[in-house]
Amino acid sequence: MSIPEQDRDDVLLRRAAKGDQESFTLLYRRHQAALYRFALRMTGNSWAAEEVVQDVFMTLMREPKKYDATRGPVGAFLFGITRNRVMKHLERLPREMSLEEPNGHGARANEAAVNRFTPVHWAEQQERSERVRTAVSELPVEFREAVVLCELEELSYEEAAQLSGCPIGTIRSRLHRGRALLLAKLEILRDAPRRVSAAR
Amino acid sequence: MSELDAALRRSAAEHAAHCPGCAALQESWQEARIALQALRETTRDAETPQRVEMRLLREFGMRHRTRKVRSAGIFAAWALATGAVLFAGVSWWNSRLTQTRGNVSAGHVVKPDLPAPSVTPADTSEEPYLIAGNDAGDFTLLPDSLPQEVDDSAIVRVGMQRGALSALGLPVNEERVSDWIQVDLLVGPDGLPKAVRLPQ
Repeated sequence: MSIPEQDRDDVLLRRAAKGDQESFTLLYRRHQAALYRFALRMTGNSWAAEEVVQDVFMTLMREPKKYDATRGPVGAFLFGITRNRVMKHLERLPREMSLEEPNGHGARANEAAVNRFTPVHWAEQQERSERVRTAVSELPVEFREAVVLCELEELSYEEAAQLSGCPIGTIRSRLHRGRALLLAKLEILRDAPRRVSAAR
Repeated sequence: MSELDAALRRSAAEHAAHCPGCAALQESWQEARIALQALRETTRDAETPQRVEMRLLREFGMRHRTRKVRSAGIFAAWALATGAVLFAGVSWWNSRLTQTRGNVSAGHVVKPDLPAPSVTPADTSEEPYLIAGNDAGDFTLLPDSLPQEVDDSAIVRVGMQRGALSALGLPVNEERVSDWIQVDLLVGPDGLPKAVRLPQ
C-alpha cells in the first residue's frame, strides 16, 4: 500500500517548513516513537531519550533544508540525527550524573496495566529485563548500537549497517562481540547476588 | 544465529547434542535472547511523553509567527519605501510642471525665428509714447545697446508693469504706469537685454 502524495514524509516536511503545523505534527507522531525507543535503549535513560527526540525535532524545525531527498528518506535522516545526538550524550555521560531512579524507563508507568501475566511472572520479567538493560547499557557504544539495532529494534544487518553508516561485515562482527560481551555481563550480573550471599 | 537457514540450524542442534561446550553456549544464547526479548517487550510501547510534542508545537508556533511578523514587517517597509519614492517622484514632477507653467506665465523663451527680427533704434526724443504704441512687432533697441547679430540671442517674454520699462531707459506714459503688459526682450549672448518690443 503506497502512502498518498500529500502524506509522504518529504511533502509533509516541505509543508512544515512553510509553517504548516499540522504537517509537522503528523511527521512528529509518525517518527517519534521509533526514535525515542532507540534513544531509550541506547542511553537507558528516559530523560535523555526525551531530550534527544526533542532536540532532533527542533533541528528539523530550525533547519528543514538540511534534509536532502536524494540521500534517503526522512526517517533515515531523522534516525541519523538521533544517532548523532545519542552519541554526543554518551560521550559526555561520564561527566554527568543521572538523578533518575535506576529503573526509571519511559514505559514503566503503564507497564503493570499493559502486562497481562501473573504478578510473579511479571516480577521475574522485570528482574530479567532490568539485568539485561544494565548489561546492554554497559556495553561499549559501538557494540551496544549493533545489539540495539539488530536484537532490540529487530533490523536486518543491511538496515543496521545503513543506519550506522558502516559496512555489513562491521555490523556482524560488532554484533558477535556485543553478544559475547552481553553474555559475559549477564553471567556476571546473575552470579553477583550468589557471590554476595555465598560471601555472607 | 537468526540468519542461519533451517539446514544449518538443524546441523548445529545435532552438533550441540553431542558437544557439551556448544550445548552450554547455545543455552546461554537462548537465555540471552530471552532476556533481550524481555527488554524489548518492556520498551516496545515506549513513546515520547506528550509534553515533548506540546513543547515542540509551542516552539513551532512561535517560530513561524515570528517569521510571519518579520515578513509582514519587511513587506511594510518595502511598501513604505516604494510609496516614499513614488511620492517624491510625483512631487518632483508636479514641481516641474508648476515651474514650467510659471515660466510660461512669467516668460516665454524662444529662439528667434528666421528672418531675424528687425531692430529699430529707439528715438525717445521724437516719440515719447513709442513703446506703448508700438504694436508693429519690431524690436526697439534699448539705450546704450548697439545693433548686432541676433543669431545667438533669445527672445524672452515677460510680464511686467509698464512703469518698469523706464528702468530699461525707455519713456513711459505716466498715466498708464501701473498697467500690466507682456513684453518681449531680445536677450543677447551675454544675458543682457538688447531690445524690446510689445507683442501683438
